Amino acid sequence: MPTIAVDAMGGDHAPDEVVRGVAQVSLATDIECLLVGDERRIQAVLEGASYNPEHIAILHCADAVGMAEEPREAVKRRDTSLVVGVRAVAEGRAQAFVSAGNTGACVLACAKHFRLLRGVRRAALASVYPRQREHPSQDPLALLLDVGATVRCEAEELVHFALMGSAYARRISKVASPAVGLLNMGSEETKGGEVLVEAQRRLRELPAVNFVGNVEGNDLVRGRADVIVCEGLLGNVVLKLIEGVSEVLYDMTGRAADRRLAWRLGLRLLARGIERLRALTDYTQYGGSPILGFEHLCIKCHGRSSARAIGNAVKVAAKAVRDHVPREIADAVAAAR
Amino acid sequence: MRLRRTRPTPAPPASPAPLLCRWDLDKTYLRSDFDTLRSLLRTAFERAEDKVDVPGVAEVIRALKAAAERHGRQALVYFVSASPPQIGAAIRRKLALDGVPYDGIVFKDQLANLRRGRLRHLREHVGFKLAELLRGRLAAPPEASELLFGDDWESDSLIYSLYADAVAGRLPPERLALLLRRIRVDPRLAAEILALAARAARGERVARVARIFINLERRSPPATFRLFGPRVVPTFNYFQTATVLGADGYLGAEDVAQVGRVLLEGAGYTPRRLENSLGDLVRRGHLTPAAADALGAGLRARGVLPPGERAGARWRRVRGAFRRLRGGRRTDGAPAVAEGSALDYDAILDGLRPEAAPASERA
Repeated sequence: MPTIAVDAMGGDHAPDEVVRGVAQVSLATDIECLLVGDERRIQAVLEGASYNPEHIAILHCADAVGMAEEPREAVKRRDTSLVVGVRAVAEGRAQAFVSAGNTGACVLACAKHFRLLRGVRRAALASVYPRQREHPSQDPLALLLDVGATVRCEAEELVHFALMGSAYARRISKVASPAVGLLNMGSEETKGGEVLVEAQRRLRELPAVNFVGNVEGNDLVRGRADVIVCEGLLGNVVLKLIEGVSEVLYDMTGRAADRRLAWRLGLRLLARGIERLRALTDYTQYGGSPILGFEHLCIKCHGRSSARAIGNAVKVAAKAVRDHVPREIADAVAAAR
Repeated sequence: MRLRRTRPTPAPPASPAPLLCRWDLDKTYLRSDFDTLRSLLRTAFERAEDKVDVPGVAEVIRALKAAAERHGRQALVYFVSASPPQIGAAIRRKLALDGVPYDGIVFKDQLANLRRGRLRHLREHVGFKLAELLRGRLAAPPEASELLFGDDWESDSLIYSLYADAVAGRLPPERLALLLRRIRVDPRLAAEILALAARAARGERVARVARIFINLERRSPPATFRLFGPRVVPTFNYFQTATVLGADGYLGAEDVAQVGRVLLEGAGYTPRRLENSLGDLVRRGHLTPAAADALGAGLRARGVLPPGERAGARWRRVRGAFRRLRGGRRTDGAPAVAEGSALDYDAILDGLRPEAAPASERA
C-alpha cells in the first residue's frame, strides 16, 4: 500500500478537517498516511476522532504556510508542513503529497523539490469538473489543465498538457482513449493566434492523442471532450467562473425560497433534482486537482476542503500511485518525441 | 492534596503475590457480532470452530501465564462474560482449540433471572459484572494484583474503574451506593455489591488493579477515556496491549515480539503498521520514550519492527514527539488523578449517560 504525505496544516479548516479526513481514510482503507505538521495539534484532533493508528504516522514540523502568503517567500522557509511534506515525498518516505494549503506555494514547492519527468518542460495543475454526459457510459467528470501552474504557455507545453491529461484520464477515469480538446475562441483551425494554431496542428499529428479539435467555452460543460487543454491564466479564470456561477445559483435558489411561498413549494418539489445537481457540482467528491508533470504526484485540494474532500484526495493520490500515473505520463511524452 | 499527572507505574512483578488477569469475552477475546438480531442468533448457535478470536489475544494470555511462571509467580486467568451459560460449552471448546489456559469462567445466568422474575437483571450488565468481579476478588489471595481486560462496546471502562476504586478503598459505601443508583443498578443487586465491596476493601487503601486495558473494537476515540485516568489504557490491537504489559514488566521482550509475530504472520500486519501502533502509544502517553526505546530495539532486532537507519530516524521523531506532547499536556487540561482518590464519576457518567439521572441524585 502506498504512503501518502498529507499537509496537516494547509487549508482554511486545518488541522481539524485534514486530520479527520485522514482518520476516516485510516478506517476505510489500507492507505498509510504521513501527517505533516504540528504534532501536538494533530494528536489532539486525532484522539478526539475514530481512527486506525496502524495506518497513520506523524512527521512533526513547527511552521506552516498561510493561505494568503506570498508563495515565493513562503517556500523559502524549510520547516513548513508544505515544504517538509514535499521533501518527504522527494526523499522517498512517501509516494505522493496532498495539500489544501496555499496553491502557489504548493506548485512552487513541488517545482523546487520534485524533478520534472524526462521531456516535460512545464508542470500543469489539472482540475476535475462535472460536465454533461453525451451517453450514459461517459465519465461525468472532465479534466481541465492547466488551471494556474503555468500562466503563459508555448505550443509544445500545450501538447505536453494534452499527453499528461490523456495519461491521467486513462489511468484514473479508466477512459481507454480520452477525447482531448483545445480551449479556444472558435472551432476553426485559424482561431486563437499563433500559439494555439501551432498547438492544434501538432496535436492533430499526434497518434497518441485522440484530439477532437478546438472547443469553445460553451462546450466545456458538455461531454465533447474528456480532457481540455489551455494555458494556466485562462484555465484559472474558467475554473473560478464555474465555481462562481454554481455558488450564485445556489444562493439565488435559497433567496427565492425565502421570498414567496409558491416558489418555496416549487423548490420543495424540485428538491431531489436540486440535490442531484448539488452532488454533481460538489467539489468534495472529486478529491482535488493533480499537479502533473513531476516524477511524484501532488494532489492540491480546495482551500475550504472538508474531511470528506481530504479523504477523497488521499484515495485519488493512492490510486494514482498504484496505477503508476507519472510513469504513464513519461511513457506518453517519450513516445511523442 | 497532591496531584499525579503521569500514569501510575505498577510495581514490577517480582513479588510472589499472584497476578489475577480478568477478561471479558465478547469483543475482547472473541470477535462477536451483535449488530443485528440475525448476527446475535448466529453468535449464540455458533460452533467453537467457527468462533473467531481477536488477533494476538490468545498469545497475550499464554505469554502472561508463561512470564509469571518465569518469575516464580502465579498468573490466574478468569473470564467474566454477560453471555448466557448455554454457550459455555462452545466457549470452553474454543479456548481449548486456541490453547488458552484459564482458571475460571463465569457466565450470566439469564434463564435463572427469567425464572425468578428478575426481568431488570436481564439487561443489567454493570451490576452483574461488578458483583462477579468482587466475588472473584474475595476468592483470591488478598495480596494479589490485577490486570483487567475489556472493550469499548458496553461499559467495561466504567465497571472496571468502579471495581478498582472500590477494592482500593477509594469509594466509601455511601458514594458507591449513589453511583449505583445513578447507573440504575437493580436495588437488590446494588445491596449485594455494597456488601461485597465492603468485604473486598477490608478497610485498606491499597491499589490492587494495576491496569485496565480497553480493546477499541469499535474504534472509539481515545479521548473518550481520558476521564478514566491513566490506569485505563485504550488499545487498538493486542500488540499495543502487549507493549504496555512489556513496559510494565509483566511480559518480556520476546513475549511482546511473539505477539507481534502472530499479527504479522496471521493477521495481515506489516512491521510498519506495528511501528505506527507503537508510535501512537508513545504519543498518547501510555509508553515512556525510555521504555519505547528499550522495547523498540529488541523488536527491531527480532524483525518485528522495520530495521535499519530509517526506522531509527522514525523512532527519534517519535521520541521527540513524546517530549513535545508531554510539554504541551501540562497546560492543556489533561485529566489529573488525585493520589488516593476515586475518579470523577459524575463527569464520567455525564459523558456516558447524560440521561442517567437528575443532578439532584448525583453522587
